[in-house]
Amino acid sequence: MTSEAFRARGDTFDATRTRGNGPADLGRSFRTATRLGWQMEANWTDPALFFIYSVAKPVSSALILVVMLEVIGGAAGREFRGFVVVGSALWSFVTSGIAGLAWSILDDRERYRMLKYVYVSPSDFVVVLLGRGVARVAVGAMGALITLGVGVTVLGVPVDPAGVDWILLAAVMALGLVAIVAIGVVLAGICIQTRQESWSYPEAVAGAMFLVTGAVFPLAVLPAPVQAIGLLTPLSWWIAGVREALFPGGVSSVGGDGSLFADLFGRAVPDPLEIVLALLVTGALVTLAAAGVFRWSERRARDRGLLDRTTGS
Amino acid sequence: MSSAPAQLAIEAHSVRRVYRAKPADVVALDGVDLDVAPGEFFGLLGPNGAGKTTLIKILTTLLLPSSGSARVFGFDVERDVTRIRRIMNMVAGGEQSGYGILTAREQLWMFSQFYGLGTREGWTRVDELIEAVGLAEQRLQRVSTLSTGQRQKMNMARGLLNDPWILFLDEPTLGLDVGAARAIRALILEWKAAVPDRTVLLTTHYMAEADELCDRIAIVDRGRVLAIGSPAELKRRVQRESIFRIELDRLDGGSAALARLPGVVSAAAASGEGGEERQTMVMNLVLEEDAALGGVVGALGAMGSTILALRKSEPTLEDVFVELVGRGFEEREQDDRTAVPA
Amino acid sequence: MSVFVHHRTESPQAAADWSARQALMTNLRAVIGRAYPRVRGMVREPSWVFFEMLLPFLATSGFVFVYRALDAPQEYVGFVVLGGAMTAFWLNVVWMMASQLWWEKSQGNLELYFAAPMHFMAVLFGMAVGGLFMSSTRAIVVLAVSTTLYGVTFAVDQWLLLLAVFVLTLAALYGLGMVLASLFLLWGREAWHLTQLLQEPVYFVSGLNFPVGRLGFIGALAIAFIPLAVGLDAMRQLAFADAAYPVGTPAPEVEIVILVAMTGVFLALARWALAVIERRARVAGSLSIRWQ
Repeated sequence: MTSEAFRARGDTFDATRTRGNGPADLGRSFRTATRLGWQMEANWTDPALFFIYSVAKPVSSALILVVMLEVIGGAAGREFRGFVVVGSALWSFVTSGIAGLAWSILDDRERYRMLKYVYVSPSDFVVVLLGRGVARVAVGAMGALITLGVGVTVLGVPVDPAGVDWILLAAVMALGLVAIVAIGVVLAGICIQTRQESWSYPEAVAGAMFLVTGAVFPLAVLPAPVQAIGLLTPLSWWIAGVREALFPGGVSSVGGDGSLFADLFGRAVPDPLEIVLALLVTGALVTLAAAGVFRWSERRARDRGLLDRTTGS
Repeated sequence: MSSAPAQLAIEAHSVRRVYRAKPADVVALDGVDLDVAPGEFFGLLGPNGAGKTTLIKILTTLLLPSSGSARVFGFDVERDVTRIRRIMNMVAGGEQSGYGILTAREQLWMFSQFYGLGTREGWTRVDELIEAVGLAEQRLQRVSTLSTGQRQKMNMARGLLNDPWILFLDEPTLGLDVGAARAIRALILEWKAAVPDRTVLLTTHYMAEADELCDRIAIVDRGRVLAIGSPAELKRRVQRESIFRIELDRLDGGSAALARLPGVVSAAAASGEGGEERQTMVMNLVLEEDAALGGVVGALGAMGSTILALRKSEPTLEDVFVELVGRGFEEREQDDRTAVPA
Repeated sequence: MSVFVHHRTESPQAAADWSARQALMTNLRAVIGRAYPRVRGMVREPSWVFFEMLLPFLATSGFVFVYRALDAPQEYVGFVVLGGAMTAFWLNVVWMMASQLWWEKSQGNLELYFAAPMHFMAVLFGMAVGGLFMSSTRAIVVLAVSTTLYGVTFAVDQWLLLLAVFVLTLAALYGLGMVLASLFLLWGREAWHLTQLLQEPVYFVSGLNFPVGRLGFIGALAIAFIPLAVGLDAMRQLAFADAAYPVGTPAPEVEIVILVAMTGVFLALARWALAVIERRARVAGSLSIRWQ
């Protein structure tokens, strides 16, 4: 198009466009990234196969733990079955949530080589990343639900819908989601710095946090310093909150006889309000830390030219 | 071995290549015939989508022809794959291959091992080539931090690691700035001068590059070879007469006086030249042949005119292409790197 | 003589005619050449020490504490530790072998590999050897630290047999990795998602944290087809000879035979799959399509 044609169309520089359109722009970026993420996540195969892949992983995780309980046998094993199934189901949510964001960085930089273009677009980088991660979080949520379903229907996990504390469940799920996404942002920040072979890092991080969050055994069996780390992790409170909501008065993963919680607070288990408050505070701290880590990583990446490199070996 | 004495470096007979695609199959090569002699610097000149890269891929054993046959030094590209790979190498423009985590030197050493060079021999060879291609300063830099020009120098060094008997260069200066492209061309010429018995097949859509480097050129378009010859031969196809542009201080009798001279086909005042302002006359002079120029110069002297400037007008390879295809290079927008999965 | 002139050969025909030794040496060098970037990458980007050693150790510890919470016999902690160590190799096969050719293709390396005169199996071996450096380090660290920290005691009567099982397990595992690499390349993005099936589901049927014999028929199937399952089972039988190991799985000597068969089958399959892929790629012109 000639300059005359541009002028005829009125396509002259409009300085107001540089100011953007605030929340509307953010919303559009998020929706677009979410749609893109979902298409990339789900369009590669037929829905039935996608479903199998998505649930095989969390259900297998739960089964590993259930068989571990079975081989030991005894009353402790039966008592723990609901405990490990819920923890394991929730963990698929954690792994997917963390991986969704971190993999977006690796995918866009190494595979599609689009990271630099996403970065220089007017969209907020973090918002786009969050949008891209939504699809995996959704897959994780689906996996978690199905694992719970398998737990209730096949493995005999006693969940009574009438006895479930739905308000507590909604509150901890919302707060927990924020915390998981925040941890995902931290890992995405780390993956900007690391090399292509970082694909397995989200799983490694989730696997390590498995140890300190009481996902599949009560924190009380851990040494006190490790329990302290667990109590500072929002995921511990999230899992404890979901368990408390599903099995009110059941085995607590953060408290119990001989636990650090009991030593510190003089009570065996936290009440639901304490769980929500603890999740809120630790979640807020992690979110702040995530913002800091990501901004630092972004700055360092620009300083060292890491946004458009490829790092295979 | 299927070789015979004095094998051609490349023999392609009726090579046709069709890519399965939707909504319609793409015919990338449509019956290409080509003979390239050993030691020749041969160019494939054509616009994007002409089929140049497809032909190189077939000759480098990466792609099978849909029909027809092709041989490299007598080795069949379908059957004698390993033998061809032992004697050839290839470098493409815009190549981003390799591992970003390695330095340029390490990357080249890795490839030297793929070509069977000894461990220490590989390092020595790499260091020599790094020096030769002008990458000494960047040798310990990570590949991911090299500029496009530096990366292409590294790719050239990779292409020469195994001292190939035939080197395939697929648009080697694509995307490079003028200086970097010149450096790559100089390097290619230096290598060719050092080993004149080696063969080069170059694809390019840069006319000047083909003109500068190649002994012979095949002009290709839409999968067909339209003409083959040396740059001079090809240009002669569009210019059977000799055209000169001549500037005189004065010319009594005007262009008609010139046109009457022996051997002159036509003479006309050149348009767009500043003859009037400079108070000189600029004429386009068409002669039957170059030899007629002597007579014209003598006659002009006798007529009292002084020749201020004399320049022969050369046709370009673009003129050849326009003559053959009926349109210019830029008029075809289809890009074989995107439209054709080659 | 110019730097550009290296090995003077009389003619292209002479240059193309390699002796068997020359071809073999080139393939061996190619193995080293392809392993090189992996080893250099380990040294150059040390973040893997944290992610590939410390975190997996913590993940293994998680399962140790499950057994502790259940007051399980001490040998079960040993089973978990051994499983955790062997996971390193499996993850390496999944992430750095199976998906690697797909990566090579998207980065434009595949064409150059195919155009070079070595056999492509050499490239796959190189990837495996390079990957083994990292996974072995991880496995050793997880094994050593966990053993020390959680007081695992091994009771080995047949060291040689244990070593043979270990080596054969690696051979079968990486052989399977080579097959998967070809399949991933063939199936593109779909195969990429197979990684989902190759982790927890495989861990479960392989009995990563418990004796695979407890899975009955599923366990038997795993022993027949998954190198991780059969290797781990044989190693547990040999490393904890004094433990009350549940019966129901073949003796280590039988499992060695299974591993040998697996290795042979996987290597043959990988070679065949590569040939098929190269042929298909040359027909379809798909060695260098980047995005799928």
